Amino acid sequence: MSREETVFVVDDDQAMRSSLQWLIESMGMRVETYASAQDFLDAYYPGRAGCLLLDVRMPGMSGLELQAYLARREQRIPVIMITGHGDVSMAVKAMKSGAVDFIEKPFDDEALIISIKNALQHDEKQRALRAQRADIAARMAELTPREHEVMLMVTDGRSNKEIATALGVSAKTVEVHRARVMDKMRADSLAELVRMVLIAGGAA
Amino acid sequence: MNVPRLFIKPAIYRLLRHLPMPLIAILIGLLAGLGVWGVLDQVQSRAVERIFNQELTARLDLRSRESLLRFDQYMANYAATARLLANHRRLAQYLEPLFWFPEDSVQPVVYEQFQPFWLPDFFGRNALLAPSHVLLMDNRGQAREIYQAGDEPLPAEMLAESPGWAGTGDDVRAVLARAGDQPYLVVSDRVEDAGGYGMGHLVVVVPIDADFLAASEGSVSADSSAVALVDADEQRILATNEPQELFPGTQMEQWADEFVITSQSLPEYEGSNWNMLFATFIPHSSVDAMSERVVDFERNQRLIAALVFIGVFTLVIYLVSARLNRVLTRMTRFSQRALDIKQPNFKRGGNQLLLLEEWIQHFTNLVLKAREEMSRRHAHEMRETEALKAAIMEASLDAIVTLNRAGLIIDYNPMAESMLGLTAADAVHGDFARCFLDPAEQAAFFGILSQSGRRQQGARRPHARGELRARRADGARFPVEMSIVPIDIDDERVYTLYIHDATQRKAAEREIKSLARFASESPNPILRVNAEGLIVYANAASRPLTNAWASGPGELLPAAWIEEVQAALDEGHNREHEDDQGEQIYSLLFVPITDLGYVNIYARDITAVRRAEQESRQHQSELVHVCRLSTMGEVATGMAHELNQPLAAIVNYAKGASRRLQSGMLDAPPLVEAMRQISAQAQRAGEIIRRLRALVGKQAPIRSVVDLNYLVREVCGFLEFETAKLELRIALDLADGEIPVNVDLVQIEQVLLNLLRNSLDALEMRPAGQRELAILTRARAGQAIVGVVDNGPGIPPERMVHLFDPFYTTKETGMGMGLAISQTIIDDHGGEIRAESEPGAGTMFQVRLPLAEQGAADIAHELEPPLAAGVGR
Repeated sequence: MSREETVFVVDDDQAMRSSLQWLIESMGMRVETYASAQDFLDAYYPGRAGCLLLDVRMPGMSGLELQAYLARREQRIPVIMITGHGDVSMAVKAMKSGAVDFIEKPFDDEALIISIKNALQHDEKQRALRAQRADIAARMAELTPREHEVMLMVTDGRSNKEIATALGVSAKTVEVHRARVMDKMRADSLAELVRMVLIAGGAA
Repeated sequence: MNVPRLFIKPAIYRLLRHLPMPLIAILIGLLAGLGVWGVLDQVQSRAVERIFNQELTARLDLRSRESLLRFDQYMANYAATARLLANHRRLAQYLEPLFWFPEDSVQPVVYEQFQPFWLPDFFGRNALLAPSHVLLMDNRGQAREIYQAGDEPLPAEMLAESPGWAGTGDDVRAVLARAGDQPYLVVSDRVEDAGGYGMGHLVVVVPIDADFLAASEGSVSADSSAVALVDADEQRILATNEPQELFPGTQMEQWADEFVITSQSLPEYEGSNWNMLFATFIPHSSVDAMSERVVDFERNQRLIAALVFIGVFTLVIYLVSARLNRVLTRMTRFSQRALDIKQPNFKRGGNQLLLLEEWIQHFTNLVLKAREEMSRRHAHEMRETEALKAAIMEASLDAIVTLNRAGLIIDYNPMAESMLGLTAADAVHGDFARCFLDPAEQAAFFGILSQSGRRQQGARRPHARGELRARRADGARFPVEMSIVPIDIDDERVYTLYIHDATQRKAAEREIKSLARFASESPNPILRVNAEGLIVYANAASRPLTNAWASGPGELLPAAWIEEVQAALDEGHNREHEDDQGEQIYSLLFVPITDLGYVNIYARDITAVRRAEQESRQHQSELVHVCRLSTMGEVATGMAHELNQPLAAIVNYAKGASRRLQSGMLDAPPLVEAMRQISAQAQRAGEIIRRLRALVGKQAPIRSVVDLNYLVREVCGFLEFETAKLELRIALDLADGEIPVNVDLVQIEQVLLNLLRNSLDALEMRPAGQRELAILTRARAGQAIVGVVDNGPGIPPERMVHLFDPFYTTKETGMGMGLAISQTIIDDHGGEIRAESEPGAGTMFQVRLPLAEQGAADIAHELEPPLAAGVGR
């Protein structure tokens, strides 16, 4: 886990904020606390690594609303919902709308640690994936339309001969295109190329 | 110019009128035929003449050639005969011994009318005229012997010429010679003696006279034509075959008037010194006769053509006129029968065309007159109708509006102005539906409008009626009756709307209807009874009441109520009573109508009212309890949340602290701070609880002495709906008399309610009909005892231990506080609560309370110990 990763805590109760900060810092993680959803939104900028610990019940913008707001903005910070006793239905709602986990007050510290670690891992993965997609997309952008076409057909599992027939060019030409695609995409093998196309396709 | 025509025209007319068409046709045909004939005559005869002349010339030429040929042939015959003679055996024999010495002058031997030996009679045999002379000449051309047929000797000049006759060769030679005006044919041929020695020539001389020419022409000349030999130089006739007509020696010109003359040269006989022509004379008379024949034939043809023309023309005209006759007859019949026109009186024999013309004129006049008459009548009617319509429009009490097909107003009467609140000037050309109808009403209006186009059954003309709500110009809505009559004018259809303001009528109708239906519609029983107590009228709603009385219309009231009726009639004012029939409770109002001797009974079913009163009382008290419980629940939830916060914080601090300690982060100040926070949060939790306490408060107990049986009954009353729902009745086994207890009434009721509710919940698991619930009360040994017994599924033994623990519940909706609170309450009252249960058989809760001192002595009933008697059977 890198240093930049931060656990954002949003809770209206000062004691809860401080105690959570104390607890999470005791696990060796960076913590930032906010008294309201608005405070958090003012301070947060997209792309910050970390996860969000969010109290369901808050005056002003509630935890669920903040979660929905972030989802709408496509800000994919993982959210862990904090619920009190008897707020199970709300927790379910939070999970349904994309929270990675929810924990009940009072907390079991082990459970909290696991939950936070999972969330951060998830975040990191997402981030890596996004970065990879951006990278692949950039490489793909270098391809000519014909090369792009050839790449898609190659990764579709079609032979050079088939591609040549389909595009009305010689197999030799296809071979050249293919070599250039591999080169531009910086793919060492066909399998790697297929993986890149799959990742890029997921982003599309 | 016109004056004479005016006089002439009628005269011609009169004449023409009486001439039948066929006659006219024949006349015209004749005239036309004549005309045709005349024209043909002019044109054709000229053409015929020209052709004829050409033909004639050709034919004359041919005739003359023929004549010449015949003449020629005739002369050729002489040549042949001369050759025969010259080569005849007898001549040769005769010449054999002879020899003619060449001498300068020789006196020929003449045989006068004696035929010498050497001359056989060949000419007669060959049907030739005998020659006048036959000569034998020696080689020098001197005549040695001459045969002379007649008296005439051979003319001297002929003899002089004779040496020239002998030909040079062997051929026969024929020449024409002439002596004076007499022409001769001279034919010579060489003669030899028997030894083949050339002796000289035989010459045959034939005079060409009338006989010669006649013989040459034979009998062919039937048409009195004549031939002649003519001196070419002098144009004088030398010989002819008709010397009686054509005198020889005359000039040719003098015959040109009588004959057509054709002259030809005689080329064969050029050797002669004489220039002669062969002329053919054809008399003009014969030529004319021929031309006449042609003209006659041609005229006949023309006549036939003209006659055929007249015939066909007349026939056609006749057929046309016959047709016209039939047409006229029919028209006359038609005019007499259908149009009652006497004229024209068709008479067969008149000129049909003129009659037809007259008839048509007459007919046209009649039609024109009729049309004028009609239009005058129509205009009059129109004026009348207009006036009538205007009057109707003006005076109508209904609004009359006329719409065109598009729904635009085209006419609008004064009543419409006042009814719809828009002047005619403003309304015309407006859209009626949009102006005077709400959108919701427009559909209905168009429905009527389209319906109006269909013929209604039994109606004289199509129309439709309907009721609508119209909208005045000021926005007021009012009901109208509308009748729509479509009127078709030419291709245009307009709709006349008769609009009647139905506001008053509607109101009046409603009024009357509602009044009339007061009694019958009344949901309450209304009856009319006469003085004897007989029900004269009973409305529909009174059936349950009369049924309960076992009575009905036309039957008597129950006796008690007959008395009431009579009393009301006697007193003359209203009387009111309640009739409690157990299930139903009625309030009866007796209203006497003294002048009629009737009493109206207005009954009111007050069962529901009474029940409702009762129920509302129950609900009110129930509500009090429910409110109290729900408040407790909310307080508990709020308290839980409030407490959760500091507790969670404490846990977090504690866990955080222990983690740090474990991981060796022994920095004191943060740890101290955490500890401080823990104690602060703990204090906060304590504070919350204190606040809660203060909120609930420790109220001073309100105690009063009440009858335990009363409490039980009241609680049972609260639960009537629940028990009814579960189809069971609570069996009450209550101690006689009162069981006085000094308690907080509400709290004890709540405990009982709690126990009963638990039992009812348990009994829900039993099938309907097998559910039993009993309450029993007893007073024994200074204690009031109340037991709640049910035959529900019972409580498992392991649960019995926790039965009175707070928040212990088996129900999905429960809080687990009921029994805990109950126990607290009973403890407060110095009593005790117990539960006994047999799983599968039932449960019994028993509450013991101290008896109130005042009645404790009075009540000394023994409580029967086996409380489980009602359980588990």
